[in-house]
Amino acid sequence: MSIKSDRWQNLLSDDSLWKSYNEYVNKWEKSIGSFLQFDADKTKGDSSSDGLLKGMPFGVKDNIAVKGFDMTCGSKILENFNCPYTSTAVQKLQGAGAVVVGKMNMDEFGMGSSTDNSALGETNNPWDKSRVAGGSSGGSAASVAAGQVPFALGSDTGGSVRQPASFCGVYGLKPTYGTVSRYGLTAYASSLETIGICAESTAITRDVFNTMKGIDNMDNTTVDYKPSGKDDTEIIAVLKVGENDLSEDVLNSYRVSQQRLKDLGYKLIEVELPTLKYVVPAYYVIATAEASANLARFNGIRYGLAQKGAETPSDLMQMSRNSGFGDEVKLRILLGTYVLRSGFQDQYYHRAQKIRTAILNDFNRIFEEADALMLPVFPTAAFRHGSSDLTQLQQKAADLYTCSANLAGLPALAVPSTIEKGLPVGVQFTAPAFEEERLFRISEKLEEIFPAQKPEGFSEEWKI
Amino acid sequence: MKYQSFVGLEIHIQLISKTKVFCSCPNHFGDEPNSNVCPVCLGYPGALPSLNEEAVFKALKVCKALDCYINEKVIFDRKNYFYPDMPKNYQITQFESPFGVDGFFNLELDDGSIKKIRIHDVHLEEDAGKMIHDGYQSRLDYNRAGTPLLEIVTEPDLVAGRDAELFVQQFRQMVRYLDVTDGNMEEGSLRCDANTSINLPGKGLGTKTEVKNLNSSRFVNKALTYEIKRHGKVIDKGGEIIQETRLWDEKTSTSKSMRTKEDSHDYRYFPEPDLPPYRVTDVLMKEVEDSMVELPNDRKKRYMDDLKLSFDQAAFITGERKTADWFDSLLSIGSDANQAASWLSGDIQKILNKEDVLLENSPFIPKRIKELFELINDKKISNNIGKEVLQAIFKEDKDPSVIVKDKGLEQVSDSGAVEKIVEEVLAAHPAVVDAVRAGDDKQVGFLMGQLMKATGGKVNPQMAREIIVNKIKLDISGDSQSRDPKIIEKGSEK
Repeated sequence: MSIKSDRWQNLLSDDSLWKSYNEYVNKWEKSIGSFLQFDADKTKGDSSSDGLLKGMPFGVKDNIAVKGFDMTCGSKILENFNCPYTSTAVQKLQGAGAVVVGKMNMDEFGMGSSTDNSALGETNNPWDKSRVAGGSSGGSAASVAAGQVPFALGSDTGGSVRQPASFCGVYGLKPTYGTVSRYGLTAYASSLETIGICAESTAITRDVFNTMKGIDNMDNTTVDYKPSGKDDTEIIAVLKVGENDLSEDVLNSYRVSQQRLKDLGYKLIEVELPTLKYVVPAYYVIATAEASANLARFNGIRYGLAQKGAETPSDLMQMSRNSGFGDEVKLRILLGTYVLRSGFQDQYYHRAQKIRTAILNDFNRIFEEADALMLPVFPTAAFRHGSSDLTQLQQKAADLYTCSANLAGLPALAVPSTIEKGLPVGVQFTAPAFEEERLFRISEKLEEIFPAQKPEGFSEEWKI
Repeated sequence: MKYQSFVGLEIHIQLISKTKVFCSCPNHFGDEPNSNVCPVCLGYPGALPSLNEEAVFKALKVCKALDCYINEKVIFDRKNYFYPDMPKNYQITQFESPFGVDGFFNLELDDGSIKKIRIHDVHLEEDAGKMIHDGYQSRLDYNRAGTPLLEIVTEPDLVAGRDAELFVQQFRQMVRYLDVTDGNMEEGSLRCDANTSINLPGKGLGTKTEVKNLNSSRFVNKALTYEIKRHGKVIDKGGEIIQETRLWDEKTSTSKSMRTKEDSHDYRYFPEPDLPPYRVTDVLMKEVEDSMVELPNDRKKRYMDDLKLSFDQAAFITGERKTADWFDSLLSIGSDANQAASWLSGDIQKILNKEDVLLENSPFIPKRIKELFELINDKKISNNIGKEVLQAIFKEDKDPSVIVKDKGLEQVSDSGAVEKIVEEVLAAHPAVVDAVRAGDDKQVGFLMGQLMKATGGKVNPQMAREIIVNKIKLDISGDSQSRDPKIIEKGSEK
């Protein structure tokens, strides 16, 4: 499917088209609330560039900088923050002709798996409004699933693009660490996260990724893109899962996916990841340690919420942070401060770094025999709002399948697989660093025969 | 002395660079507050640091000059603490693996002996902004936030306040030679914290205190001398030194406690994830080595050993690299080292001091001074006229040959002409002539003075002196009868 010829082409230039699109977006907003800000008047975008993505509207997770829009990160502390600059990734997309139409809801500073931790709005799953869209890039995934935008940028620190993509039935890419500039992405856990993509097709995911990738002088952690050139896959390793590791629905979907791959002619081998049981603790140690420093800059002095009534600068900082941050954010800052204490680093931070090396070694061992690895995205399908299905702790423990790719810096793609009891379930593929194209090709083969399903109310022509 | 004392220094220098260390804002002192800022140095969400190569290069120059081991993998770390002038509330610095470690500095003590001071490490970091307290308000200026700062940490190898003062002076001179900082202590481009402890001989280091706020090398000396004495008194009374940070108060010449170890921060250092480990390549190190200059103490030694300059002259000339470079270029076009040194440390410096002008900005370009020396050495002008010409070079910004010609200063070296003038002077002062004749050689000076006065100093003095002496002495040794009675008469008139 070529983007050039697709339905988004004339949207921004055709006023009557834009009007019905607007109505369509608004209708969905009433039930899903994916946007924190929507540019109905098209005043903030610039579609002058003629490129690969000409005329494509897209949404941007509200922790990524776009000049002219707010950047709230889903937090009260940045509720009034108008962003003075644009991230490199968005700049590149704009350069290719794509236009930002809005900023997407998210868990506060990317900390969560449901988008329920947003201080500024609730986002529902387009398939079932009583359920979450996943998180932390819930707004991005929901908007794509509902057909509000063909793609939306998210950020993936421990699965924050892939898990909501799976929950909403869209494609979700976490690129190789260092391939897409993080300049302009509000940092939560710098060494783990990348800007990622939620999209309605593999083709769009590929074009957006190829547009965004590349070395950026503003981000010293970006690297030369050097794929092996082996884009086609013969052997796919499949992570062995036990009966109790996944919900019945997800387990069923996982097995169907295996069968489909076999039918498509791939050779499958079953593998184990012995270090998998250590990844969640390692992930939370590193992520919270980095977060404790990254979020220190929000102090009410230069921008953002400045609590009134402070007598001293130190009061101002304490009061602003106390009223500006939500509970989950405070919890993670405290955890991170704790694990970095002098004298405790060997026990926590340094140990977590060793696990990080171990999980990468695990992956490398698998990639000696297989071209890619298939694994579940999340143990359940979209859960209900609140803690009735999964507590906050259970939600964290469930990050194991996604956060391993972040610890290892590898690319991973969530692909819609089946619909189970009315909810989409995805499956995830990962490959060695820089092998995104290999993932796209697997995904495309599946997409050809089993295209992503759409929720009720979805319309290609934005008809209500 | 009953106790042994130990002193270590932490010196911060602001590096000269076009831009800040992690963004492209200008690194410039004295601009409108908050004019040199951007999302990166203001710590806006999403902004990332990118390392400035110029700052890296200058850091490596200092490492090289201090003979440090350069770490293969240089790592930046985050130092976490909250302060309003620090935009990110962490400072990007270096902790585990800085640019340079294990170096040394050859400190020249007052008696001329050399003491090797070990350097613990040299690390690159970002400076904070400035908070100005103004009545009920606190104002923040972030122009300085993110400017490159290099910290040099010595081992506690210094013994007394005077050692530390010399270290700061010689270190400052060195980094100015390297052109990495202007080293201005009053403006804060060279800042110094001093650690000290005392103990009974052989017992090793004692409990240390740190003194901050030392903005001159003299204060470093005073504060440390004070601290060492204070430690001694406390211990003499059976007390214990508390490990703490103290502030030096120049008004009262005392130090006072700022914070004790208990309320010191846990900085929670961890590697900066936004900056990958920096690898110092051989190519870069070669460039650094090629950029190195002869360091002041080496240069001073060379001037004394090879050029036979006195210690004072060599120290004076090597004080500033630009002075020494000027001196070297004067020598390179053929001037004599001793003549150059004595003029430079004498009359040239006198004029520059008086007029408050730097040598390198003055009309004293080496070519002119060389020409001046040649005029003197060729006896075209006297040494004293030379001094006058020097003044004129400064005032008129002209070459000495032009000045000599314009003012008709060329000295009279024609022996016939000189003889004629001498005769006139002798005739005018018969009594003095008699005195000389009677053996009072000092009076020759008087006659020379008269001669110079009569000719505006233009007579070749050596020649004139010879003629005077010869004239009078010839009369003595020759026929006394031939004495001109008129001279006696005139002499008796007085």
